[in-house]
Amino acid sequence: MVDVLTTTINAVTISALYALVAIGFTLIFGVGGVLNLAHGAILTVGAFTAYYATSALGLGIWVGAAAALAVGGLFSAAMYLGMIRWVQDEPILVMILTLVTSIAIEQFFVVTVGTQAKAVPSLLPGQLTFAGLTVQTNQALTFVLSWLLIGGLVVAVNYTRTGKAILATSMSAKGAALVGIESDRMYLYTWLLAGALAGIAGVFLASYRTASYTMGRGPLILSFSIVVLGGIGSIRGSVLGAYLIGFLEVFTVSYVDSSLSGLASLVVLVVVLLVRPEGLFGRELAEA
Amino acid sequence: MSEELPTDAETDSEADASRDLIDPSSVGLRHVFGAIGLLALGLLPLGVDRLLVLKLTGALYFAVFAMSWDAVSGYTGQISFGHALFFAVGGYTSALLNLHWGFDPALTVVAGMAMAAVAGVVVGVPALRLEGPYLSLITLVAPLILLQVFVVFSDIFGGELGLASPENLLVFESFETAITANYYLAFGLFVGVLALLLAVTRSDAGSVFTAIREDEDAVAAAGLNPAKFKIFAFVLSAAVGGLAGAMFVHTPVGNPQPSQLLVLTVSIEVIIAAVLGGMGTIVGPAVGGLFFYMFRDYLGGVTATVPVLGAPIAELDLLLFSLATLVLLFVLPGGIVRGTIGLGRWVLRRGGRDAPQTVPDGGEPQDREGPLERTLASYREAFDDIGNSQEEDHEH
Repeated sequence: MVDVLTTTINAVTISALYALVAIGFTLIFGVGGVLNLAHGAILTVGAFTAYYATSALGLGIWVGAAAALAVGGLFSAAMYLGMIRWVQDEPILVMILTLVTSIAIEQFFVVTVGTQAKAVPSLLPGQLTFAGLTVQTNQALTFVLSWLLIGGLVVAVNYTRTGKAILATSMSAKGAALVGIESDRMYLYTWLLAGALAGIAGVFLASYRTASYTMGRGPLILSFSIVVLGGIGSIRGSVLGAYLIGFLEVFTVSYVDSSLSGLASLVVLVVVLLVRPEGLFGRELAEA
Repeated sequence: MSEELPTDAETDSEADASRDLIDPSSVGLRHVFGAIGLLALGLLPLGVDRLLVLKLTGALYFAVFAMSWDAVSGYTGQISFGHALFFAVGGYTSALLNLHWGFDPALTVVAGMAMAAVAGVVVGVPALRLEGPYLSLITLVAPLILLQVFVVFSDIFGGELGLASPENLLVFESFETAITANYYLAFGLFVGVLALLLAVTRSDAGSVFTAIREDEDAVAAAGLNPAKFKIFAFVLSAAVGGLAGAMFVHTPVGNPQPSQLLVLTVSIEVIIAAVLGGMGTIVGPAVGGLFFYMFRDYLGGVTATVPVLGAPIAELDLLLFSLATLVLLFVLPGGIVRGTIGLGRWVLRRGGRDAPQTVPDGGEPQDREGPLERTLASYREAFDDIGNSQEEDHEH
């Protein structure tokens, strides 16, 4: 019984992280209409930013996490400004460019850090006990922070001027342009936001597991599954998809076979693509 | 205006490349260079170190693999992010049949190719339903699933480590002879696949592939079934890729291991090679594949370290290539081969600019040119004549 509960807690935590990654991925696709295959690599950037901040510069992990948030966001924004902005009308080129970028980022870390995995400290060490159940404080923090960020994002998108402008751009870039919204700026904000979310998710992921140069691959592929399952461009679809995929993965690994890690969600992805490519919620933020 | 004419004519002649190949009077300079390149590849093993021949054998198979990627992705625009799937299906099928049941490699290679074609159907059929990005996602995921299957059934597939080396296709008493023979086998496959894919992509089917890339709806509106052509492209490409993979594992250089055949980086390496060479040309990926494999191998052997990073160059190879590809995609989106042809034409045109037509009295211009420029200019003139006559043929 306790075992099932522990697994559930693990699943909830990891799902909260996946939600952060998938929301960024879906935002970029929903608003800008491009698939960012380097999104997973930004997790790696975030994780190693935190690693360097804590181990090389001797800063606290909270500073490291803040740095990861900033560096992830700025890196993503720089990718948009330096590269994607020029080719965003060519989806194929965007995919190749971002895929090759992710390989370049991975190789950069291979060269600078090496292939050995690095430990990143927990943001909140220790354990919490309630109702006879022990939870890592770090896990609880992930869950809370994830929902705070998602909640903040939903509020921002629906109630602020910039958020509404982003939403408008996602619905119709032409229509938004007609009412004076600069779509390029909205795309930039989206990339910034997505990168920041991925950066912070990378820190948490590295604190559970470790930071390694390939750590972004799994979450990227899972993001596909999540986003396709939830419906590309849909925030609530992505959150729901993240929890479905997170639970599926954790329970498969715990109760079926640990070597199946990743396989279950890949199969789900393929099945959804073949059976219902529009996902559970369709494309909320799509151009009509 | 008159300067524009040759350019138009060139595009015309490009579209009729197959006719150019048959008609010797219109063989372009680039075709001559291509033939010289092939000849050089054919003669190379006679004069160089055996180890280099061995590496070149691997490079030839990689180039075949790159061409197979180009046939589907460069032409139909259905970008495959997981082409390693076909390479691996071919290689593993052939290796397993040889290792477990002792079938002759000559038979198992065919079986590997057939299995890869089946995999092509499996991946190509979703192409009926899925549009560009979704299809790319499926192809990206397919080899990951296969790798997971290999890991789960490690006792059969050897998991992450792979299988033992199967028999070589060609076995000789002397290792040296075996190396040379294996090279020529690879070279034969390379030339054969090059010819086959050039023929297919320059045929009407090839035009439909390109049309699908440009506008699938227009193809459907013209009464053609894009899905049929997409599946054809996928199966052809998969079979060729599988054949390359199957033959590759039966050489001294290739082994049935995920790191050589299946992992994500293999799929991306083939894209980098094809993009570097010039996707959508077949010749480009062939050159790009050879270049990528050999240059990476060379970088891997460099022991010097980069001063700032303090890392050996040997570790930087893939980073360098990915950065080079990123830059190249912006500067020269057509790749090296198209760029070289463009540069050649530019040089030729420069030579031609000072040539007769700019001299008002119809006489010879000032002799400021060296022998090279003169030669190029005369070539240019010949080109112009061919081009102009073709142009008139088309006009009237």
